[in-house]
Amino acid sequence: MSVSNLLENWSQFRHTHPVDDKPHDPYKWAMSIDLDACTGCNACSIACYAENNIPVVGKERFQHGQQMHWMRIERYWDEDGREFADQGAQFLPMMCQQCEAAPCETVCPVAATNHTADGLNSQVYNRCVGSRYCSANCPFKVRYFNWYDYPTDDAVWPAEMSQQLNPDVTVRSKGVMEKCTFCVQRLTAAKSVAKSEGRIVREGEVQTACQQSCPTGAISFGNLVNPESRVHKQWQAQQVEIDKDKQTKDEKEEGSELRGYRIFEDMRPYPSVMYLERVRESAV
Amino acid sequence: MIDSGIDRRDFLKVLGWSGAAVALSGCGNTSVEDGKETVVSYVEANDYMIPGIGVYYNSTCAQCDAGCSINGRVREGRVLKLEGNPDSGINKGKLCGLGQAGVQHHYNPDRVREPILRNGNKGETITWDKAYALIAEKLTGVKGEEIAFLSGGVSGHLKALLGNYLESIGTKNHFVYEALAPVGVRAANLKSYGVALPRYRLDKAKVVLSFGADFLGSWISPVHFSQQYAQFRKGMDGQRGVLIQVESKMSLTGANADRWLVVKPGTEGVLALGIINALGTTSGEIAELVKPYDHAHVTKETGVSASQIDKIAALLKLRSPSLILAGSAVEGYAHGAQNAAAINLLNHVLGNVGKTIEAPSNVPFPQLAPIVGSTASLKSLNDGLVAGQYKVLFNFAANPVFTAPGAFKFKDNMAKVGFKVAFAHYMDETAMQADLVLPLDSALEDWGTQVPEYLADGMQLNIQQPLMEKLHANTRSMGDILLTLLKQRRADEYKNFEDYYAYLRGSLLQNKGALGAGGSDDDNFWNEALTRGVLKISSSSATLADKAATSGLQLPKAETADAKFPMHFIPGVTASLRDGRHANQPWLQESPDPLTTIVWDSWVEIHPKKALELGIVDGDVVEVTSKSGSIKAQAYLFPGIHPDAVSVPLGRGHEAMGRYAKGYGVNPFGILDAIFDKETGELALHETRVSIKKTGARVLIVKDEGAAGGMQMGRRIALRKTTDQVDLSEEV
Repeated sequence: MSVSNLLENWSQFRHTHPVDDKPHDPYKWAMSIDLDACTGCNACSIACYAENNIPVVGKERFQHGQQMHWMRIERYWDEDGREFADQGAQFLPMMCQQCEAAPCETVCPVAATNHTADGLNSQVYNRCVGSRYCSANCPFKVRYFNWYDYPTDDAVWPAEMSQQLNPDVTVRSKGVMEKCTFCVQRLTAAKSVAKSEGRIVREGEVQTACQQSCPTGAISFGNLVNPESRVHKQWQAQQVEIDKDKQTKDEKEEGSELRGYRIFEDMRPYPSVMYLERVRESAV
Repeated sequence: MIDSGIDRRDFLKVLGWSGAAVALSGCGNTSVEDGKETVVSYVEANDYMIPGIGVYYNSTCAQCDAGCSINGRVREGRVLKLEGNPDSGINKGKLCGLGQAGVQHHYNPDRVREPILRNGNKGETITWDKAYALIAEKLTGVKGEEIAFLSGGVSGHLKALLGNYLESIGTKNHFVYEALAPVGVRAANLKSYGVALPRYRLDKAKVVLSFGADFLGSWISPVHFSQQYAQFRKGMDGQRGVLIQVESKMSLTGANADRWLVVKPGTEGVLALGIINALGTTSGEIAELVKPYDHAHVTKETGVSASQIDKIAALLKLRSPSLILAGSAVEGYAHGAQNAAAINLLNHVLGNVGKTIEAPSNVPFPQLAPIVGSTASLKSLNDGLVAGQYKVLFNFAANPVFTAPGAFKFKDNMAKVGFKVAFAHYMDETAMQADLVLPLDSALEDWGTQVPEYLADGMQLNIQQPLMEKLHANTRSMGDILLTLLKQRRADEYKNFEDYYAYLRGSLLQNKGALGAGGSDDDNFWNEALTRGVLKISSSSATLADKAATSGLQLPKAETADAKFPMHFIPGVTASLRDGRHANQPWLQESPDPLTTIVWDSWVEIHPKKALELGIVDGDVVEVTSKSGSIKAQAYLFPGIHPDAVSVPLGRGHEAMGRYAKGYGVNPFGILDAIFDKETGELALHETRVSIKKTGARVLIVKDEGAAGGMQMGRRIALRKTTDQVDLSEEV
C-alpha cells in the first residue's frame, strides 16, 4: 500500500467503527448543541458532576490543571482587537466528542479505550494503566486523569458527601483516565428496558444529564440512525454527514447558510457531536 | 467471589447503604458488621424502595427565591440528584447549577448538628429542651419593642407561623433582609405599571433591550427567563429575537447579547431618555421631558455614540413588540429608582405594556404571600442596634455579619444585644456572633409551602417535602421550632398540632376547596399535592397600569470624579454564588465563573486600557480601597467593563461557614459605603467609589481558560454567523 493510495482512499482505510454498510444498528448515539441557545450558565456542567461522581479537586489541584470537569464551558472573546467585548462572549460546551475514528483509541497500549457497537468511545477503567497517551492525542482535551485517589480523600468526599454518589456510576481510583460517557449508565438502563419489551429505545426515552438540565434546551441527544429522532433530523437538516471529513454544503463558494458544523472535522476524528453556529444580529 | 473475599454481608451493604461507602471504607470491618448501623431489611421495605431502582419525589428548591420545583432522585433512601419538576410552570423540568447543588447543602459536612450555647469564647452542646427553656427565660420580662427578629424573605405557612409567633411575644420588629433584592425596580414598576413585578414575556418580544437585567444569570427567575429566552431566540416566522444589553459591567446576559453597550455607571436612565428622544414619536409631557436628551448630551453623559442610539431607535421602531428591562445594575445608585423609572418609560412609549409586560396573578391568600426583603430593612435594625434598643435578637435565613455593607459595622452593633439566637445551617459569620445557635434541617429534609414573589406562570403554591430521612438526629425544622415556641405562649391554640407536618397538612386540608380540590377525599388531595409538588390555583389578575409616570422624574447631572476615590465600584453578582449563602457548596466553588473562568477565588475586573495606564497585568494583587474599607485580590483584565469602574464578585471571602467557603477570596460587602437610594431608602450597591493600587505581589490566576486566555487563534472551534448569513427557516 503506497502512501498516495492511503491518502487518496483514506476513508476506506480509516472508517467508522465497526466498518460495515450500516455501521451502527440499531443505535448510534449522537448529539447536537445549538450555540445560539447556549448561554454559558454551567447548569450542564454541574449536572454532570452530580450524575457522574466527578471529584471536586480544589484550588491547588485546579491550578495544576487537574480539574476533572467532563463537561466544561469554553469561553472565547473576539480576537480582532476591539476595545470592548461589544458582541458578547462566545460560549461552547465541550466534552468528549465520541469520535467515530477516535485518535485516543489508536494510541492506548492496553486497549482500555475502544469503540462500542452503538458508537460510543468507551473507557474501561480497570483495564487502564494510566499511560495518558490518549489524553495527549485527544485534539479536544476532554480526557481527565486521576492523579489522586479521590474516593479515599476526605477533603474531596467526606463521609456525608459520599452519600450523594450515584450508585450506577463507579468512582474512579488513582491512575486511571476518565471522560464523558454520554451518560452510558442511563443508555444501558434504557436499552435494557427496551430489549425486554422487544423494541429499540424510543426518541426521548433517554436523556443525558447535561441535556436534561439545560434551561434553554440547547442540547439534543439521541439515536442518529433512528429517523424519528430529533438529532437525526437536525443532522439531516444541517446536511452534516457523520462519515465525511468535509461536508458537501461547505464546498459552495459563497459558503453555506446552514449552521451545523463539527469541530476539527478536517482532522478526521469524525466526531459524534454537531454544533450549530452562534448567530449575531447584523442590524445593531 | 470467594477469592476476592467479598461476602454476602458486604454485598447486602452495597444494596442497602451506599456503593460509595464501600469504596471509601475499603476492606475490613464496617459499621454494619460492628452492629453500629443496620442494613435495610427488604422483607419489610417500604413499598417505594426497590433496591437498585431510583424513585422520584417532587419538592421545592430553596437555593434562591425563584421557587423552582425540583424532582429528586432517591435510591435506597438517599437523595442523589435534583432535576426540575416538569409540572411547574416556573422551571418546567429544568434546574440551574445553583439549584442542583442543593444536594451539597443537604450532605454538607459542615452543617450544625446540635444546639450550641455560647460559653465565653467557646460553644457547648446543649439539648433542645434546654434551648427552648432558655429562650422562654430570656424573653421573660422583656418588652416587645426590645425584641427584634431578622429574617430573609419568607412566604407560605412558615411566614404565617412566624407572624403568629412575633405577635405572641408582642413584637412588631420583624426585619426582612435580602442583600440583593430588586427594591428600586419594584418601586419604579409600581409607578409605571401599578404592580411591583409584572410578568415579563421575553418569548413574545422581538427585541429585548435590557438595562442591566441579568435575567439569564441571577435576576428574579433565571431558569424561567432562560426558557423564554430560548423561545425568543428562535423567534417568530424565522425572525430571531434581538437582545441588546446596556450595562457598565458585563453580566452573563450581556455576554449573550447581540450588542453589548458599555455605559458610564449610573447613566442608564439618560440613555433610555435619549432613545425616546431619538424615536421622535412622543408629544406632550414626555416630549418635554426628553427634549434635553439629544444626541450630543446623551453621548457626553453615557459614552454611547449617536449612531448607536439611532440604530437602536430604528430597530425598536421596526420590530414590535419589544421589551425593555430595568435590572439590578441600574437600581444601585442614589437615583436608582429614577433610573429604573426612566427605562420603564420606554415600554410606555413603545406600547409594550400589556403586550410583553403582563399583569401578574394576585395571591389569594395574603397570609401566605411573600414578604420581600431589602437592605433598607437591615438599616433600620442596625439603627436600633446602635441605639441599644434591643435585648433579644433572632436571626433566621440571613447572614448580615457577612452581607451588611462595611459602613454599617453590623458585627459591632450586634454585640450590644444581650441575647442573640441564630437559627442556622452552618456556623456562618452571624451564627459565630450568636449566643445560642439552633441547627436547622436542610431544605431536603424539611416540610413547607412556598409562594414565589415572581409568579411566572400564574398563582401556584409550591410544596416542599422531605426527600429523605434526616441525616442528623438533632437538627430541627424551622416550622417545628416555631410551633414549639408558639406552644410556650399559646398552648391552647396549637395543642392539636403535634408537629409542623400536622400543622401543614391540617392547614391545607382545611382550605382544600380554595386550593381547587373541593370534592376530593382528604388523603387523595394530600397525596396528589405531594406527588405533583405544586398546587396551581386559579386566581384573579392584578390590574396593570400603563402610566407615563413622568412627574418627579429627574436624573442627576454627571458628577465630577472624587480625586481620592476615582473609580466606580461594582459588586458583581454571579449566578452561582449570589450573596454568598451557598459558598460552602464545593460544586459552586469549582464551577468556573462563566465570564472569567476563575474558580475558588475572588478577582478584580479591570479594563485592559485602564490596566495599561496603571501598569497592572493579569494576576497582580491590587488593593481596592473605599471610604469604608479595603480588600486585596488578583486583577483580571476584562474587556467587559467600563474603564472607570472595577468589579469584584460577591459571595466569597467568608471567615466562617465551612471548609469550602472559609478563606477563599475576599468579601466586597465589607467595603461598601452607606449610600442610599433617595426614593426608596435602599442601599445603593453601585455608589461606592474606590481607588486601586498595586501591592507588588503577583499570583497565578486559577482559571479554566488556560494560559493563553482562551483564544481560538484561528482554530475553528466556536463559530458564529450574522443573521444575514443564515437561513433559520428550515431548522428542526
